[in-house]
Amino acid sequence: MRISSALLALAALALPVALAAQAPDGWQVPRTSDGRPDLQGNWSNATMTPIQRPAGAGKVLTPEEVAEIEGGRQQFIQENSQDSDPDRGAPAVGGEFTGNALFDAASGGTGGYNLFYIDAGDRVAVYNGEPRSSLVTIPDNGRVPALTDAGRARAREVALARGEHDQYDNPENRPLAERCMLSFGSNAGPPMLPNYFYNNNYTIVQTPDHVMIMTEMVHDTRIIPFGEKPAVSEDYRPWFGVSWAHWDGDTLVIETTNISPEQLRAYGQVFAGGVGNPTITERLTRVGPQSLNYEFLVEDPETYTGTWGGEVPFVWMPERVYEYACHEANYALFNVLSGARAQERQDSGNDPDRE
Amino acid sequence: MISKKKIAVFGVVAGALTLAVTGQVIAHHAFGAEFDRDAPIRLEGEIVRLEWVNPHSWIHMRVQGEDGDEIWMVEGGTPNVLLRRGLRRDCLTPGTPIIVDGYQAKDHSLKRANGRDVTFTDGTKIFMGSSGTGAPDDAERLRQRQERGRC
Repeated sequence: MRISSALLALAALALPVALAAQAPDGWQVPRTSDGRPDLQGNWSNATMTPIQRPAGAGKVLTPEEVAEIEGGRQQFIQENSQDSDPDRGAPAVGGEFTGNALFDAASGGTGGYNLFYIDAGDRVAVYNGEPRSSLVTIPDNGRVPALTDAGRARAREVALARGEHDQYDNPENRPLAERCMLSFGSNAGPPMLPNYFYNNNYTIVQTPDHVMIMTEMVHDTRIIPFGEKPAVSEDYRPWFGVSWAHWDGDTLVIETTNISPEQLRAYGQVFAGGVGNPTITERLTRVGPQSLNYEFLVEDPETYTGTWGGEVPFVWMPERVYEYACHEANYALFNVLSGARAQERQDSGNDPDRE
Repeated sequence: MISKKKIAVFGVVAGALTLAVTGQVIAHHAFGAEFDRDAPIRLEGEIVRLEWVNPHSWIHMRVQGEDGDEIWMVEGGTPNVLLRRGLRRDCLTPGTPIIVDGYQAKDHSLKRANGRDVTFTDGTKIFMGSSGTGAPDDAERLRQRQERGRC
């Protein structure tokens, strides 16, 4: 009975979020001076909803499931906000784990990447009033389709090539995000997806002939012209690809192809190791004073056995987007490589700083 | 009334969603590659400098070592996260005494560590944690914190 009451109370907490996503009566989409829907401002797509749907979940979560999911996060935050013992000693040798799978996977037992670091989103994604269990909604099972035979063969080749190098040998072998080259995963996109870590923030600026979308992470900026597809070589594969835009009524439509394979590899779990050249269509529609609906569709018949896509709510963010001066204090890259060299010295019995 | 069986089902869905997200995590860098979980450390001293920049803030602090003062660097969260957790840059001015526990960088010749737990000397977290989450006790926690003179 006690648990039931708690769940219902938390379900009530979730209700205002769902209502906030709906436009109030009489609301009209704001417009720019040239009469287009005004999508400008700061937005966030942080959410607890995963990209792909876990087995056993329906597309739409029940209020009780939302309460369980969001309540668990709030309880964890509150427990971790309690005062610490000022007389505490150093943590345990061998690492300490929090019991939170997200934090423990990121920290490797060092206890970092906790609330001091992570703001992954405290709510499930609510799209058109529906709390969702996955961001992928096409196909109906909420899962990225299997690879074609050709896609699997190319993915194996990429994996074999990657295995020929030690990831700690030099800076070039480190992940793009660690090198301040690109945002985490598919944060900047396309498609623009949450990174489940922090800073899932975007700034949109419109002019009559361009739209600019800046992602806070690594200051990734897409400057997209309105008009026809630019004439470029098939081999031209820049960061974020080649994009062009048009208006479909009040919906901004952005089409993209030729995304850098390195960028696709950075999110290999969804993009099959970066082996393809998908065409991605994004549709952005202002549906409320604090709500932007974002749809995406990925087409790559040589790589996937089906088309796939999804729906992601973007929520108005009153806070500012902080400058991402990534290399100003990027001691981490140095520390990681220096740590690998120290490990090599220790393994060879030649490290004066370790016994 | 919600039955125990239904609660168990909710738990399965909640756990599955958490695990699904965990599999999609891409960090800026792996702490496991940067810090040595066999080298725990506790530091107590005063802040001498704060680097308040993305992707990670760094707190420089003066610590009394065996051979005199040492300057240690402690890695913290990103400014936007810290702001949402209720911490401003001016909460961490030079001279502020703090306690840090965490793990030392893998290269032990560096005086660097991660901030597993960073508190004021009375044990108060330097960030609020529940700020802005909609947690029912947010306002009360903020009031108590301000009563203790914390920003």
